[in-house]
Amino acid sequence: MRLPEIARGDGFANRLLISFISMVSGMRLPDAARVAFYHKDFFSVPMGAWTQAAMRGPSAWSVAERELMACMVAKWNTCAFCVGAHGAVAAKEMPRPAVDEVISDFRTAPISGRLKSALAFLEVMTLRPKDLKAEHAKAALSAGVSPQALMDAIAVGALFSIVTRYADALDFAMPTPEEFERAANMLLKRGYAS
Amino acid sequence: MKMSIRPDHRALAEALRRRVLEGPGETAPGLRQASAERAAGGPAAEAPYDDLARQIGEAAHHVTDAQVSGVLTATGSEKATFEIIAAAALGAGLLRWEEAMKVLDEVTNASA
Repeated sequence: MRLPEIARGDGFANRLLISFISMVSGMRLPDAARVAFYHKDFFSVPMGAWTQAAMRGPSAWSVAERELMACMVAKWNTCAFCVGAHGAVAAKEMPRPAVDEVISDFRTAPISGRLKSALAFLEVMTLRPKDLKAEHAKAALSAGVSPQALMDAIAVGALFSIVTRYADALDFAMPTPEEFERAANMLLKRGYAS
Repeated sequence: MKMSIRPDHRALAEALRRRVLEGPGETAPGLRQASAERAAGGPAAEAPYDDLARQIGEAAHHVTDAQVSGVLTATGSEKATFEIIAAAALGAGLLRWEEAMKVLDEVTNASA
């Protein structure tokens, strides 16, 4: 963590809360959660509101599908922390080998055609946003993705284009696989709202 | 938290943009906006913010301790440095949001 105040917590109440959650959960509270407690009014409240709506709100996509989208945006952005974190959440709701196949090559993975087409759109959006053309959206819609579902996927793609960047810029500490697993339980239970 | 109403992504994106790039903070909104634009491929910002914002936009996993400490020295506070990092990350994310929504709107408006 490049800004120690985020790791410690800003203010006595937040420092106490971070220590308490770490103690109760039996693991160091991941840096993503520490950011959510930091300078809340400035960033994590509006960021958490959109993230909670996109990741847990009503959608044609399941929670696991949206977590897979987040995981893949993280992969394309080379953010190891977010690949670990969101792959672990997806693996709570689908077999871990299937998650690993998606991360390896989503085009040959055992997932629906509509999810593959949404991921193909998100891949261009993440890596070459200026190259996006109507044809990319048409391809997803032709595969059975509704306009609303494509917008939901775009929201996930935009949000994790933000999260991965601050995670890497701040140099989040990497949890162990066991810690990612425990953190995934927290993310499923508590969601993303600050 | 259960929600029964479909998310209004456009409104949520705009609320985030306005709060981070136009709202009160330890840094001037103009500096946050310049950092966001730089991370979205826009013009150079003033040093040392330019280097960090450009790096966050292009490949955040290559951000260095020196890039962050340069901004920390210039701002004099971790909170202000966090604001610059958040603004740059947001700029890159909103670029993608806007480009993707542009093509989705183009397709859905054409078929309406």
